Amino acid sequence: MEYRIEKNDTDIRVLFSGGITFSENVSFRQVLKELSENDVSTCVFDLEGVDMVDSAGLGMFLIAKEQADTAGWKLSVTGAQGHVASMLKLTKLSDLLSS
Amino acid sequence: MNSDDTMTVPGRSDALPDGVKDAHILIVDDMALMRKMIGMSLERSGFENLTYAEDGDDALNKISENIPDLVILDINMPNVSGYDVCKKLRADPKTASLPILVQSASETPEERVEVFAVGATDFVSKPINQPELLARVCMHLENRFLIRNLSDFQTRMQDELKMAREMQHSLLPGDGVVKTVEVRSQSVIEAFYKASFELGGDLWGTWPIADEKVGVFVLDVSGHGVGAALNTFSLHATMARFEDKKHDPAAFLSAVNQTMANTMKTGKFATMFYAVLDCQTHDLVYAGAGAPQPFIFGANGLRKLDSSGLPVGIVRSATYENLEDRFEPGESLFCYSDVLIEADRPDGSMLGEEGLEQKMIELLDTGDRNSIVKRFLDEFYETQKEHLPDDLTAIALHRAAEAGLP
Repeated sequence: MEYRIEKNDTDIRVLFSGGITFSENVSFRQVLKELSENDVSTCVFDLEGVDMVDSAGLGMFLIAKEQADTAGWKLSVTGAQGHVASMLKLTKLSDLLSS
Repeated sequence: MNSDDTMTVPGRSDALPDGVKDAHILIVDDMALMRKMIGMSLERSGFENLTYAEDGDDALNKISENIPDLVILDINMPNVSGYDVCKKLRADPKTASLPILVQSASETPEERVEVFAVGATDFVSKPINQPELLARVCMHLENRFLIRNLSDFQTRMQDELKMAREMQHSLLPGDGVVKTVEVRSQSVIEAFYKASFELGGDLWGTWPIADEKVGVFVLDVSGHGVGAALNTFSLHATMARFEDKKHDPAAFLSAVNQTMANTMKTGKFATMFYAVLDCQTHDLVYAGAGAPQPFIFGANGLRKLDSSGLPVGIVRSATYENLEDRFEPGESLFCYSDVLIEADRPDGSMLGEEGLEQKMIELLDTGDRNSIVKRFLDEFYETQKEHLPDDLTAIALHRAAEAGLP
């Protein structure tokens, strides 16, 4: 997994690429840490470049969602394709993450 | 001796730690004066457990009776030399990792290389510089104790994991209940389960319900290892509490979810699929919580069951829906965990849902339906690395064809 953070004032876009899986736990936590260090009002997880997500990866999105709810910013997930899109659909997590 | 005589070890301000001070050190030298000098220097630093050997033979005998924690070994001795002692100790598994500190007056680079080649751990030159000898003795003893602690810890953890793995396997349905379900549903059950680490987060189960029905579930806890395994225990215990809801898949998943949402940590959840078959009418009622889509297949083709739904353990308010289908005699129901479709193949691609479905249809035409999962997995493992990235569960219920039908 790799990521790049684009910042426009308090609107943040995190562009992920590669796979978001069990073994990416540490780098994903780094993303969350960076988010917590910024003044965020909205944050978009752009998954266009992500080709694989497993259950642990979905779990990390849920942790991000909790962080968003606690800190009072809005999270949305966009750009999921192929396997990632079907995982989000199967688990009905896309609605929950963006609610 | 008074405290002024105590020699401190270079680089250390503290007294020797207890474990190091109590270490058993064997001093081997053919010259009595050398043995005495080394012994005194160690004693003055606080070492108490010293033994002596006067040549290689004597050393090997003493070591075979009682293996010390470290040997200080002279290299040039009559009869059995220090080189031979090193070789013999290294050849014996019991002493293969024993620290051997060689002391020698010979100084040529070739000789030093030879000392290490026969297995010495370290080297000090004669005449012995006492502070240097002490520093090296302490370093090797501390390494030895650290390694010993680590390997003791590792052994204990391995034993505990082995026991936990056995306990986890006991969560899987026993032969008795499988047989009952097979007889009642007139089917053959093929079930495979393999954890990716010592412990896994997958579980499946089956049970008879009332007089005519059977239930079957698969679940996959997010993540792997000990945490995931403990959550399977928790889920197993939770499911047992809702005996009265086992006939109603959606109600069963809701009840399990409400309990698990209180106990599972954020980011942890379980995908599930639960189906109930009426063995008389062949009606199948099922509900999904995000498990990979199971399918029913047979001579009339293949249809997927919609297992989408919020995984259990995330939000208490999640609701689940009962869906209906038919599971006719002569058909098979296949449930699996996602590693089957997500594992990398040699060309780097994933099999995917469609690939899996195609493969199963192919295998249906090329052999016995009742062994289709085994045949699929035989092929699957041929293309996989030794360790899968995730736990694997693959379960099929093969319903017998009715008499007179294919």
